[in-house]
Amino acid sequence: MLIALVAVLHVFVSHFAVGGGFFLVVTEKIARSRKDAALLEYCRRHSRFFALLTLVFGAISGVGIWFTIGLVSPEATSSLIHTFVWAWAIEWVFFFVEIAAAIIYSKTWDTLSARDHQMVGWIYFVSAWMSLFVINGILTFMLTPGRWLETHNFWDGMFNPTFLPSLVARTAVSVILAGIFGYITLPKREAREKVARWAALWMMAGGLVLPLSLWWYFAKIPQFSQLYLNGVMIGVRHAVRGGVFFMLLSLAIALVCGVWKPRWMRAPVVAVLVICGLGTIGAGEYLREFVRKPWVINQVIYANDLRASQIETLQSVGVSHSANFLLTDDATSAAYGANLFQLQCGSCHAVGGYRGMKRRVDGWDAAFAADILQHIHMLRGTMPPYAGNEDDRKALGNYLASLNPAWQFNVTDGNRLEIGEKVFAARCGHCHTVNGNFRPLRGAFEKQTPSEVQEIFPALGAMSSNMPNFNAPDDQAQALAFYISHEASLPMPQKAAPTEPPTGSSHSQLVRPTQSRQEVR
Amino acid sequence: MQAIPIPHVDPLPIPGPVWLFTALLLVVFTLHVAAMNSALGGGIWTLWNYLRGRHSEHPYSRRLANELASMLPTFLAFTVTLGVAALLFVQVLFGNFIYSSSILIGMLWLAVIPLVMVAYYGFYYFSYTAEKGKGSSGCVLAISVCVLLGIAFIFVNNMTLMLSPERWLPMYRAHPNGWNLNLGDHSVIPRYLHIVNGAIALFSAILAHLGMRKMKVDAEYGRWIVQRSALVFAGCTGLQFLLGMWLLLAIPREIAMVLLRDPLAGAVFGLALVSVIAAMLLILLGSLAEKPSSLVHAGFGMSLVTLFLMVCLRYLLRLAYLKPYLDLGTLAVRPQVGVIALFLVLFVGGLATVGYMLRLVTKSQKSRVRASVPH
Repeated sequence: MLIALVAVLHVFVSHFAVGGGFFLVVTEKIARSRKDAALLEYCRRHSRFFALLTLVFGAISGVGIWFTIGLVSPEATSSLIHTFVWAWAIEWVFFFVEIAAAIIYSKTWDTLSARDHQMVGWIYFVSAWMSLFVINGILTFMLTPGRWLETHNFWDGMFNPTFLPSLVARTAVSVILAGIFGYITLPKREAREKVARWAALWMMAGGLVLPLSLWWYFAKIPQFSQLYLNGVMIGVRHAVRGGVFFMLLSLAIALVCGVWKPRWMRAPVVAVLVICGLGTIGAGEYLREFVRKPWVINQVIYANDLRASQIETLQSVGVSHSANFLLTDDATSAAYGANLFQLQCGSCHAVGGYRGMKRRVDGWDAAFAADILQHIHMLRGTMPPYAGNEDDRKALGNYLASLNPAWQFNVTDGNRLEIGEKVFAARCGHCHTVNGNFRPLRGAFEKQTPSEVQEIFPALGAMSSNMPNFNAPDDQAQALAFYISHEASLPMPQKAAPTEPPTGSSHSQLVRPTQSRQEVR
Repeated sequence: MQAIPIPHVDPLPIPGPVWLFTALLLVVFTLHVAAMNSALGGGIWTLWNYLRGRHSEHPYSRRLANELASMLPTFLAFTVTLGVAALLFVQVLFGNFIYSSSILIGMLWLAVIPLVMVAYYGFYYFSYTAEKGKGSSGCVLAISVCVLLGIAFIFVNNMTLMLSPERWLPMYRAHPNGWNLNLGDHSVIPRYLHIVNGAIALFSAILAHLGMRKMKVDAEYGRWIVQRSALVFAGCTGLQFLLGMWLLLAIPREIAMVLLRDPLAGAVFGLALVSVIAAMLLILLGSLAEKPSSLVHAGFGMSLVTLFLMVCLRYLLRLAYLKPYLDLGTLAVRPQVGVIALFLVLFVGGLATVGYMLRLVTKSQKSRVRASVPH
C-alpha cells in the first residue's frame, strides 16, 4: 500500500518531468521564433512551477521509492541492485545532468542567450528521457525477465520483451501529462487561448499513441498476467474501467475546454484534469503491479520477498529454523503465528485495512485455516505458495482463526439459505463459484438434493490434492449443502464458457470438480 | 537459529570488482557530505546572518543571508542527488546490513522523505521571500534547518545501527514496528555532534573561499566574509578535536585500536590530522592579514582533503566493525564489463555536459559584467 501510494505520486510527477521538459523547450522555441512575448512569459512562469514540482517532489519521492522498496522487499531490491547497479549508476548520471539542467534552465531566462537557454532545455529533456529509458528497463524486467532467466546477462534483462512497448507507453503518458500540467500555469489574459489549444494538442498526441502502445504491451506480458485481465478479478476490472474512463474524460475536457472553448478552462476544470491524470496513472500502476502477482520478480522472487528457490527448504525445515528475525523462538506460541503473518503475508495484507485478512478469514477455524494454507497458491492465482512446515501452518492457522470469533448459528428454515451463502463464501468462495466464471461447481452439483450434496463433503479432501478437508460443524454443513443445491438448480443464463482462473504457481494443477465428483462416485 | 542473525548475502554475484564499488562509494559519498555540509552548515550560517541582519547596524549580515538564500535549494538538490549514488553503492557492498538497520528504524527512516521535502520547500520559500524581508521567512528557514538537523540524526542512527548486528534481534523483539533509535550505542551522540559541527566547519571553509572571490567585486564585504568565516572555521575545528576524542572514547575499544594497529587506518588518521591542522593554519593566516591572501584557497583545498580522508577513515572503521560478519574479499564477483565501460563513458560525458552548461552561465555573467562597465 505504501509503495503504491509513493509510486503513483512519483510516477505522476516524474513523467511530467520528462514530458514537461519537452513541452517547455518546444514552446520556448516557438515563442522565440514568433517573437511572442506573452507566450515566452508563460514559459518562464511555467518553468518555475516545473522546477518547484519536479526538483523537489519528483526527485525526493523517487528517493522515497528507494527507501520504501528497501524496507518492504529487501531481498528483491538486493537482487535488482546486484543485476542492475550499473544501469542505476547510468540513470544516476542522467539524473544528475537533469537536475543541474533544470536548475540552470529555470534560473537563467534573463541571463543566457536564447540559443544557449534552449540548449540547456534540450539537455534537460534528453537526460530526463534517458533516465526514463533506463528505469523502464528495470521495471519491465520485473514482469518479463525474458532470456535473463537462463543467461543472467545484463542486456537480456534490460532489453526484455516489454521494454519497447512500455517505453512508448510511458513516453505517451509523459506527453499527455505535459499537456495537463501545462494548464496549471495557464495565463489569465494574453496567450490564454493559444496555450489552452497548444496543451490540448499535446494531450491528443499522447492520447493517440497510448492505447496502441498499451495494446502492444499487454500482448507481450506473460500468459498468466494476461489471464488477470479476463474479468475474473474485480480490482483489475475496476482499474481497467477506471483508467479508460479517466483517460477519455481528460481527452474530452481537452477537446471541449482546451480546443473549442478555451475560456472554460478555469481552475476547477484544471483540477478535474489533474485528478483524471492521477486516476489514469493510478489505474496503470495498479495494473502493472497486479499482473505481476504472485511475483515481485517473475519466476525469481515472490511478492512476499521469498525466493522461489527457498520455498522447498522452508516447507521442509520450517520458518523457525531458517528465519533470522522472529519475535519468539517458541513455535507453538500465539506470538509466533502473528509473526509468521507479518513475515509472509504482511507485504500485501494488513489485518484489518488494506487487503485485510480479518474479513477474508471470517468463518475459518484453526484446522481449516492450517489446511487451506497448503493450497494457498490456488486461491485465484495471485498467491505465492505457503512457505513453512506443518507446525508453521498450524501456528499461522491458529492466528488467522483468532482474528474473528467462532461462528455460532441458530439455523432455521428462514435463514438457512442466507447462512449457507455465508458458509460458502468462507469455505468455498475463495476458489469456486456455483454459477459464475470462476471454477464453477454447477456441473458437479446440478439437480442434486441438499442431502446428496452433503454426502460428498467428507470426501472433499481426498478428491484432489488441492482441496482442503471439510470440517465445518454439522449445522453449517447442512446450510451449505442447501445453498449449493439451491443455487445449482437455478435456471442458468446463457453465457460464455467458464474461464480458467490464472494460477501464479505451477506447483499443482487444478482438478475440475466435475471430474472429482465422478472419481468420488 | 544463528546467535547473531544476519540476512544472507545476495546469491547473485556483484557485477563489478569490490575496489571499483569502494572507490565510487568513497568519491560520491565525499561529494554528498560536501553538499550536505553546504545545505546544513549553509542553512545555519544563513539563519544566523538573517537574524543578525535584521538590525540596521549589520548590513553585511543581511546581504550575506540574501546571497546564501538563493544557493540553499541548489545545495540541497545536490545533497540528495549525490546521496542517491552513495546509497546505491553502499547497498551493493553492505546491502544485508543496511536493509536490516533501515527496517529496524523503518518509521523514522521513511520519515526522512517528507522531512527532506519540508526542508527543501522551506529553503525555496526563504529564497523567494528573504530579500523582501517577510516576517515568516526566518521562521520557515529555522524550521528547515531544524528538520535537516533531525534528518542528520536519523541517518546517524541508521549508519551506526547497521554496524551492530548484535543489537538487531533484541531491538526487533522490543519494538518490531520500526519505531527504534540506536541510542543504546554511546557513539551516536558524539558522532552526531561531530557531523553537525563538521558541517558548520566545512561550510565556513567554503564560505571563506567564496569570500575571496567576492573580494574581487567588493573588497570590504569580501574581507568581512573571509575573516568571519575563518574565525568560525577555526573555532569549529577546535571543537571538532574535542568531539572527535569523545567519539573515539565512545566507540568500542577494539575498534578505536584499529587506528593504532592497522597501518592503513593509522596512516589515514594521521594524514587527516595533519591536513586539518594545515587547513586551519592556512585559513587563519590567510585571512588575518589586512588583505586576505590566497592561502585561504589552499586552506579550503586542505579542508576538502580532510573531508575525503575522514570519509576513508569512516569506511575503514566500518570494515573493522563488520569484520566478524563480513569479508568483502569473499563476495562472488561477475563484472559486467561492457556496462561498466558504458557507465564510465557516460559519467565523463555527464560531467562534461554539466561543465558545458556552467560555462554557458559563467560566460553570460562575464558578458553582463562587461556590459555594465561604462566605456
